[in-house]
This record gives sequence, C-alpha cells and structure tokens, in this order.
Amino acid sequence: MTSAIEVSGLTMSYGGREVLRGVDFDVRAGEVFCLLGPNGAGKTTTVEILEGFRRRTGGTVSVLGLDPQAQPTRLRERIGMVLQECGFPRQARVAELIDIWRSYYRQPRDLADLLQAVELTQDRKTQVRKLSGGQRRRLDLALALAGDPELIFLDEPTTGFDPESRRRCWAAIENLRALGKTIVLTTHYLDEAERLADRVAILAEGRIQIAGTVRHVARQAGISTTIKFTAPERVRNGTLAPPASLAVAVRGDVAVCTPASTAVSADTALRDLLNWAAANDLGDLEDLSVESPTLEDAYLQLVCPPAGERPRVPTVTAPPPDAAPALDAAPALDAAPPLDTAPPLDTAPPLDTAPPLDTAPPLDTAPPLDTAPPGDRAAEPAVTGGTR
Amino acid sequence: MTLPLTPLTLGEARRRTVLLAFRQALLEQRSFWRSAEYALFTFALPLALLLLIGSTTAAGDLPGTHVEGQMIFVPSIIAFGVIVAAYVNLGAKLATLRHDGVLKRIRTTPLPAAAYLSGVLGSTAATTLAITACIMTLGALAFGAVPRTSGLPEIAGGLLLGVACFGALGLALASVAGSAESASPIANASYLPLAIMSGIFDPTFPVPHWLSAAVGLFPVRALAQILQQGYTPVEHAPVTDLFVLLAWTAGAGAFAAWRFRWH
Repeated sequence: MTSAIEVSGLTMSYGGREVLRGVDFDVRAGEVFCLLGPNGAGKTTTVEILEGFRRRTGGTVSVLGLDPQAQPTRLRERIGMVLQECGFPRQARVAELIDIWRSYYRQPRDLADLLQAVELTQDRKTQVRKLSGGQRRRLDLALALAGDPELIFLDEPTTGFDPESRRRCWAAIENLRALGKTIVLTTHYLDEAERLADRVAILAEGRIQIAGTVRHVARQAGISTTIKFTAPERVRNGTLAPPASLAVAVRGDVAVCTPASTAVSADTALRDLLNWAAANDLGDLEDLSVESPTLEDAYLQLVCPPAGERPRVPTVTAPPPDAAPALDAAPALDAAPPLDTAPPLDTAPPLDTAPPLDTAPPLDTAPPLDTAPPGDRAAEPAVTGGTR
Repeated sequence: MTLPLTPLTLGEARRRTVLLAFRQALLEQRSFWRSAEYALFTFALPLALLLLIGSTTAAGDLPGTHVEGQMIFVPSIIAFGVIVAAYVNLGAKLATLRHDGVLKRIRTTPLPAAAYLSGVLGSTAATTLAITACIMTLGALAFGAVPRTSGLPEIAGGLLLGVACFGALGLALASVAGSAESASPIANASYLPLAIMSGIFDPTFPVPHWLSAAVGLFPVRALAQILQQGYTPVEHAPVTDLFVLLAWTAGAGAFAAWRFRWH
C-alpha cells in the first residue's frame, strides 16, 4: 500500500528546547491514523509541520509526495484541515461561505453535496454568527472538505460533543474513509482512537514510543487479559486453589484472574480455567467474561505507568524508543494474535455496547448534532480511565 | 475521483488571483452591509463631525484669506473618512480576524495571500468610496461646498492613494497589534492627535512652525491637502504631499509584508 505521509528523523527545536527528537512514522493511503500523546508531547507541532504551518529543524517529511514547507500551496490544494478553535467570518451565510471556500480550490466538491454531508442544507441561508456550537463544528468539516481533499487532518474533532454527536461525527469519519480518504486524527479520547483508527502512534518525550494497530499497541504495553467470573464458595473461602497458570484475586463475589506470567497466553489461561472448573465440579462458571486490554489501558501504562514502574515499551518485543521503526515495519505483529482465538464468551469491551455504525442513522436523516453542551470535557477518558 | 492537478502557468495564476480577490471583495462587502450597526457608525462618525463642526467653526472665510472655510473643511473630513475606514477599521478588523482564527483558517486553503488581502482592501476601497460620496453630497447640500470640475483628478487620485496608504497602514497596524483589543486604541492614539494638529477638524488650529513642519511628514495632512486641491486651489506643494503618501505606502506595505501574521 502506498504511503500518504512519510516522516523520518523529524526534529524540531524552539530556541534551545528540543520538542521533537527524531520522529518516524508512515501513514498509509486510505487509512485512519491516530496520533496520541500527552499534552506538550509535540502532537500539534508534528501535525503543523505536516500541514506546512511550521518549518522543521531537521529530518525529512513527505505528504502526498510533497514537502510541506517547500510546496505549501500545492499541498493545500489536496488536503483539508479541521483545526481547533478557528473562527468564521461571522456575517457570511452558510452556503455563501462554503461556496467561496470551494472557489479556493480547483476541483471542489459539489455545494449541495457538502451541505447535505454536514446536514446544513436547511441552514444554508443562515448567517454564521447565528449558528449553534454543533452547527459550527459541522461547518468546520464542510469547509475542510470543500476542496474534495485526499488527506484530511482532524484536530480533536469531537471535543465538547455529547455522546450522540460524537457517534455521528465518527460515522462521518468512517464515511470519509469509505470514500478512500486518508485521515490523520489527533484526539484525547482513547475510545475514539480505538473505534476509528486503523493504526495509532503514541508520541511522548519527542519520539514515537509505539505505533501500530490498536491491538498491537495494547499487546506491546504488556497488559494482560482479564478473566472474571462469580467466585464459587470454595474459591471465596480459599479452600480450592486456582489453576497454576492463573493469578486470582477475589473482589467481593467476583474472581478476577490474570495469567500468572507473560509466558501464559490468554487462550491457554482460559482453557486451564475451564478444565479446572470441570475437574472440580464447579459446573458452568457464572458470569464468565474475558476482557482484552483496551487502548486506554495501554496508553496509561505506556505514558504514565504507576509510580515506581518503568514504562513497559522498551522491553521484550518493542524496539527502543530511539529506534522506533516506521509503522510499516511491523506487519507480522498485526497477524491474528492469541487473544483473537479466545472464544467469544460474554466479553463486553465497552465499545461493543455502542450500536454499530452501519445501523447509526445516516447523517442526512439524523437529528441535529447541536444539542451538545459546549465544553463537556468531564467525560475525558484519561481522567476516569485505568479503573477497568 | 479527482484528476491530478497540473501546475498553473504564471498568467493563469494571476488571472485566478484577480478573480478570487474580486469574489472575496464581494463577500466582504456583503458581510459589511449585513452588520448594520458597524456600517451605520462607520458612516455616522465622519458625517456627524461634518455637520456639527461644519455648521459652527468652519463657517465663513478663513482669517486673512478669501478662501471659504468649508472648501477646506469638507475635503478634510473626506480624508478623515478615508483614515477611519482604511486605517482604523481595517486594522482592527484584521486584528480581530486573526484573534478569532479566521485568518488561520484562510491559510489552511490554497487561496493566495495576495488574493485575500487584495479582496479585503478592495472592499475597504468600496466602503471608502461610499463614505466619500456621502460626505461630498452632504457637504454640497448643507454648505454648498462643491469640488472644482478641474479638481476631480486630485480627488480621485487622492482617494486612490489615500486608500492604498492608509490600507497599508491598516495592515501594518494589524501586524503591530498584539491582540484584537489593542488595535483600536493604537489606531486612535496614532491618528487622532495627528488629525487635530493637521487641522482636519479646524483649519485655523494654531500650531507652532516646527510642529507644523513635523506634522507635514505624516500622511494625514498630506492626504487632506491633496483632496483640498480638488475643492479650491491652495498654497502648498502637492508634489511633496504626493511623495509623503507614496513613502508611507511603501514603508507600511514593506512593514506589513515583513511582520503580518496569520495566526
């Protein structure tokens, strides 16, 4: 697959402060790529270099085959951006503004099509200053798509959205991917990255710490799969020892099991558990569930490991940070992992509880997105996460 | 599926820039008139001053001359209108657009900077022309101040150069202003004292010789004097005024090209 973006040895210093210390990654054409990292890690700097807003200190960058700092205008013909907190000319009307934006490009997308895609057909004659917050975010997207770009940068596109609006923004992003567009996403919402991204990269301390598919990243973080079931009496009172391959903790009436060592795969652990249950006449283990580590678990482990514990990345299979390979370099890791072979019990990763996107209402029939109270950041997973 | 874009030839790129600037100017004009309050007060300030001062201090001949005060005062207010529209309003508007991130949004597109800024300046020129037309009409109706037929080139040239000079200064102002809030105070503090010293509001305002010479180096009196030529022949050196305006246009333009920030 061809690369839409190739970044190699990218460095950036402000004054004497080194913000990027050799960033390497590729974004493949047609994929959703998500750049994650704590505040101040250099995400915005990296994206601004890719967009041609900032001149890099060193390294090579190719975006759609162009050098962003040498050919910014040619590049902007082919990319679209949704930036945070960018205002609008307030007195312009919606359709008028989208239309003049279209005139900036040589191969614009159809006006009616754009209005429909962002559900602003009804509001086409409304002045921008009269739009609600949600409508403005949709106008943001319409302007970013005005030039029918091949590559779209989305900087925290759902910040401040209510759950329904987020879900529909996700649907819009998936639609763009279905059209063959490449999407680079930055977000603080790890469930969003998990849901949308074909691949993610975690940027911290000026380098890509880890990159790959969500599953690959989760596995590399070294977080084990958790198996839970309602603990039978003999397990609760300690008269029945668990299988040797599992470490078991009883919390209330729930037995929480993790593989006793990294050498034990999740499917081995599960098989051992079921065999152990059968051998001890425990019957069907009640409320049995298998929980794979989420991206959020992995992120927290990698970016802010518990006190006294070093980040897990540079161990075992992951390359050291300063030799972080281009993302393409790890295809074998994307192959079916052991966790995939676990029987689909009543496993309930949080995201699966959401209705699948293909059953979500299409954008043009769904109710308006603008019911979101602005600035609702309380639900940010980084705050509540790590407790699953 | 989109076709690969071939690079434009220089001629095509220029034609496209002109067309885009024109479209931008039209959108800016439409937006200006939609903001009724903003439009009203942009016009109200020079017109109110014209009527208030024109009917009192500027009445009668200037002391020691046979030149009617109104023939100096009305073109001075035209100059004032140019300064307010092209310098104060444009500078503050661009500073606000930058603060709001509108200019950054523009920079995400392939729209050439020249097309956008020309469009904004073109719209400013149209507004200035409308204000001038109102001042000239009101000046003629209320005070009988009618320009000389042979003075129309001075008025047209003065307006053109005035918009260019103060538009460039407006761009420079937006480049200097650190925030949207500071643009208006900077604008007012810089042009109002000069306008008073230049006799814009009172042609007989007494200033010492050295101060008058210093004020002559600034574009406010230079523009007023060129426009006054269009109403009545007066004793001064219009060529000097022309050079003063051109020099400030070039200086402000160069400064803006160097310092103008989009975000």
